[in-house]
Amino acid sequence: MNAIEVSNLTKVYKTFRLDNVSFNVQTGRIVGFIGRNGAGKTTTIKSILNIVKIDNGNVNFFEMDMKQNENIIKNQIGYASGTTNYYPRKRLSDIINVTKMFYQTWDDEVMIEYQKLFQLDFSKTPTELSEGMKVKFNLLLALSHHAKVLILDEPTSGLDPFSRDEILEVFMELKKRGVAILFSTHITSDLEKCADDIVYISKGKIISSSSKDDFIRKYRIGNESLETIILRLERENHD
Amino acid sequence: MINLIKKEFKLSAHILSYVFIAFGLMTFIPGYPILVGVFFSCLGIFQSFQSYRESNDISYTILLPVSKKDIVKAKFIFVLTIQFLTFLIMFIITIIRMTILVDLEVYVMNPLLTANLVFLGYALVIYGLFNFLFVRGFFKTAYKFGKPFVSFTVVGFLVIALAESLRYIPGLEALNSLGFNNLSIQLIGLMVGFIINVLLNYISYKCSVKSFERIDL
Repeated sequence: MNAIEVSNLTKVYKTFRLDNVSFNVQTGRIVGFIGRNGAGKTTTIKSILNIVKIDNGNVNFFEMDMKQNENIIKNQIGYASGTTNYYPRKRLSDIINVTKMFYQTWDDEVMIEYQKLFQLDFSKTPTELSEGMKVKFNLLLALSHHAKVLILDEPTSGLDPFSRDEILEVFMELKKRGVAILFSTHITSDLEKCADDIVYISKGKIISSSSKDDFIRKYRIGNESLETIILRLERENHD
Repeated sequence: MINLIKKEFKLSAHILSYVFIAFGLMTFIPGYPILVGVFFSCLGIFQSFQSYRESNDISYTILLPVSKKDIVKAKFIFVLTIQFLTFLIMFIITIIRMTILVDLEVYVMNPLLTANLVFLGYALVIYGLFNFLFVRGFFKTAYKFGKPFVSFTVVGFLVIALAESLRYIPGLEALNSLGFNNLSIQLIGLMVGFIINVLLNYISYKCSVKSFERIDL
């Protein structure tokens, strides 16, 4: 079953066009959304979440149209743009207490479980957290209301290799618990480590959307690594 | 909706929005353009809007399971509540100045606008203008607030200057009546201010919802 279905998403800016973007995210899969800076990853994610108004196309979550069922869907998904960048001087406990009011499915027991797993101190403020901890706090907020899908915009960029590895480990643990994850990245090793599927975007167009194995089989020349394949494709697209 | 309103007061608001409600007390000051107190309370509300941008309040709120219309509505309820509380202080002081303190020399000899019902009408006009020029202006982009605040400051002070000078025009002296003198004129002044306030609030809210629905965040 598809957790997210994106079809023919189009958004036109003066200098950029998100062009007929289509891909699916299946339940219980980790999908790496890769592309260089400015390729359209964030615009795609914002369009999926209806933060950016699309010119054309459709987005369905759990076979429900996003535009018609925005509140129901937002109750069932979690989104994080990189690290926690809101209310930098408020205590995490204050942010949690307000956030939980909005979700019917909020579960304090689950929250405490993730608090222990992530070793988060709720008396701190976001400014007092390391970048890795900020990502974890975002994940905690998303997961404490039993989100079935996580959409994460560059959750690993700006993290040191150790924190990045830790976050990717968390993704794999969440996958075991049945959560589908769509995360954008420009770091190919993230994909190698944990992605089941790869959606590759370049200049606003989807170049490929398939399982990681199929992607490698289709594009590999010789013994190329995933990173080399993507770098070569990117060069070809820019020529 | 109630959750969004709680969020506005508990998480989003800047402390100065609450503290600046106390500027309503300026209504007591003799020989001072007391309408400036209205401006200061608006400055307090402005601090919250500045804080929305600094703390990425809109980016956080937009991802909650709420509609864009309700986000705007909650912000308006916050703004109107702060304005109402300040107005309430000004109203009580005005009534005190119109009754118990009506004969106090410093108020009788006051060369500037006196605290009467017309003054409260002017205050309502300024609040309406703040909502129309600043709050509506903010929702055009949900991050630019400099230009909307400058336009409010200019227009707001023009209204203050107008309020201070109108009573010197022959025939309009009654606007500055002490106590309950010329009560019918005072009541008309208050009613006109109230109607302008309600109209400006309604237009501002409708326009803000429309712009906020349209913009990309």
